[in-house]
Amino acid sequence: MNWFSLLFGPGGWSGLLLEGAGVTIALAVVTVPFGFGAGLALAVLKLAPNKVVRAFCEAYTTFFRGIPDLLSLFIVYFGLQALIDRLGHALGLANPIELNAFVAGVIALSVVVAAYSSEVWVAALKSVPRGQHEAAQALGLTPKQAFMLVLMPQLFRIALPGLGNIWTILLKDTSLISTLAVMDLLRAASEAGRNTTQSILFYSVAAAVYLVFSIISGMVQAGLERRVNRGFA
Amino acid sequence: MWQTLQDNAATLFNFEMMGRYGWRLVDGLWITIQVVAISVSLGFLLAYPICLARMSRSKILSGAALCYVTFFRGTPLLCQLYLVYYGAGEIRAFLTDIGLWWLFRESYFCCIFAFTLNTAAYQSEIMRGALASVPRGQTEAAASLGLSKYRIARHVVWPQAFIVALRPFGNELIAMIKSSALAAFVTLLDLMGQTRFIFARTFDFLIYVYAAIIYLVIVEAIRRVWGLIERSCSRHLVIATRETQESRGQDESRISRAGGHGLSHGGSPQSQRA
Amino acid sequence: MKKARLLQNDAVLKTTTLLAALGFAACLAAPASAKEWKTVRFGTDATYAPFESVDPSGKIVGFEVDYGMALCERMKVTCTFQNQDWDGIIPALLAGKFDVIFSSMNITEERKKKVMFSDMYYATPIVFAGQASNKSDDVSPAALKGKTIGTQSSTIHANFLEAFYKDSNIKLYPTQDEPNLDLASGRIDYVVGDGLVEADFFEKKGNGCCRVISEIKRVPGIHGPGVGAAFRPDDTDLRDMFNKAIGELDADGTYKKIEAKYFKQDIRGKQLVN
Repeated sequence: MNWFSLLFGPGGWSGLLLEGAGVTIALAVVTVPFGFGAGLALAVLKLAPNKVVRAFCEAYTTFFRGIPDLLSLFIVYFGLQALIDRLGHALGLANPIELNAFVAGVIALSVVVAAYSSEVWVAALKSVPRGQHEAAQALGLTPKQAFMLVLMPQLFRIALPGLGNIWTILLKDTSLISTLAVMDLLRAASEAGRNTTQSILFYSVAAAVYLVFSIISGMVQAGLERRVNRGFA
Repeated sequence: MWQTLQDNAATLFNFEMMGRYGWRLVDGLWITIQVVAISVSLGFLLAYPICLARMSRSKILSGAALCYVTFFRGTPLLCQLYLVYYGAGEIRAFLTDIGLWWLFRESYFCCIFAFTLNTAAYQSEIMRGALASVPRGQTEAAASLGLSKYRIARHVVWPQAFIVALRPFGNELIAMIKSSALAAFVTLLDLMGQTRFIFARTFDFLIYVYAAIIYLVIVEAIRRVWGLIERSCSRHLVIATRETQESRGQDESRISRAGGHGLSHGGSPQSQRA
Repeated sequence: MKKARLLQNDAVLKTTTLLAALGFAACLAAPASAKEWKTVRFGTDATYAPFESVDPSGKIVGFEVDYGMALCERMKVTCTFQNQDWDGIIPALLAGKFDVIFSSMNITEERKKKVMFSDMYYATPIVFAGQASNKSDDVSPAALKGKTIGTQSSTIHANFLEAFYKDSNIKLYPTQDEPNLDLASGRIDYVVGDGLVEADFFEKKGNGCCRVISEIKRVPGIHGPGVGAAFRPDDTDLRDMFNKAIGELDADGTYKKIEAKYFKQDIRGKQLVN
């Protein structure tokens, strides 16, 4: 079996693998703003004065951090379908609304990432000195300005290592989506392997691509950390 | 009224489904516990040599260890699992020649093999971080007192490293329990596998919720137990330090299958002892 | 406390509204087609060569794809094919991810409780396959006691094995390819599946590893008469459109043409009005 021709020859599988890699990256990148954003919101709510709100957020985090990511994905995926179905019927729509598999994947991953990242954000929020907030107020900044100009940069600096960890987890968790018929990198490798019985070849290629993503992420994270820590000892 | 209560209970808890298939969940849970316990233990044994290799002065050894750790932390566990399971099937002739086919034939052992390799990579990084967090001065002082290398390790370095490593090890155990769900995709009927089996029969999505609750209970139980162990082990430390560890160290150090390249160690900077 | 309240008012409100809006937008991502069927979405598990599989460019190809497209041409609608895991294919249909299951789904009473079937459009023999080195043709439950038999989960084959082969080791896989791969590597002893699918696998990828042993007579309660397209129970108009087109394609020979492209034998099976 010629490895080269299996990958790059006519009828080669590299096209599908490349597409899969694209889907993997797209999934991860699109999840970042939703997941980390929701995580920040969750973190802020966790520090709210209202006990019920705090308890709910804690419960949410405990639930999605305590169950396998795979199970979270399944629950959100199938649960979301069921929910939308019910909503559709309740609103009297003739046909149920469809949820695109990619979008469902993003939502499912965001739910999980929000739970993980909220812990990181909470630690970061707690470690920004109270004085900063009070000083911003004293200077007459609006709450929004205070958040964007004073808190966020400091939060980001402290949260960065933790968020970097979560990004790595996210990148690998996208492979779980392959079990829900989304053609990501791992699924593409599975299809190729099944169709040609050369599983070792294709899974190794997939692993190599994930490794490359992982290494690049590490370098980017190191660079970001250096930049963000300018001026600090 | 009793009837409505029963009806409502029935929507939340599918008695009929659980009556028919509930035993499968218990079966699956037992398999999960076995697989996780064995892989984490074997992984621990494997992690120590890797950790030593990583910290050794020999470029070859540390390079090889770095490659190992980078590979198993940088690729998804599902990919590794498929590689082991279907890869082994492809090289069956070779495996039979070296007398190891019986091992890779069973998905149970394949899973344990893949999980062990994976958790060893993470555990070795935890160990490395913990050992590195013990100040050099301790080793030097102990050496100047005339203690042998073994004594230094056993009585000075390890006990201090152990406390730092405790929380991340707990996280790793929890992470492994959660990751073990992937075994369902190589036909192992663990808790997740049985859950999928039952879903395929009944199409009742609630079965996933029940499985989630079981996982949650196990993870919470381990978290509590670990908390107790931590508290009893760090009793001699100053209270302020313990608080710092608890509030800051809460899983920033090792969230689940955390990657983090290059600079990670057992704990993030904030969770080091004061 | 002040800090939290200040943040709460503005940021939280905004973030939550943004998320809610995005959530709704996402849900409305692809509004379903109207009652007037202009587009029909087919759902299939494309791991079932030669009926449906994924080619290197990612396209879904196979007998059922060609046949489905021909039906659509006859019904004057536009059609798309979507890949969907077999285990979740009925829930996906019921949730509206697509409009028809066109994936070699056998018509059984159990499935009729959840979905509605079209007329049967093919029926092929169901077979036992085994290792080439296995010269015995005896596949009775007694002979296969203790042996490992693999098949796809949520299929009539799985139900058949569970009903009659209680003493054998039954392994269930997410797709039909995987037990075939495991049979080829010698991990399992037998596979139960569709005769043409097995033959196709052994011919194209088997390398002489395995052979089809014998046919299994269709058990009426378990196997059903043959394969049909599955619809949501409300979509009677779509089902009627399909039945009409199936009849027309039979009459004018298009079925035979497509059939001849893939198979040397007749797979049409007995006509069954559903």
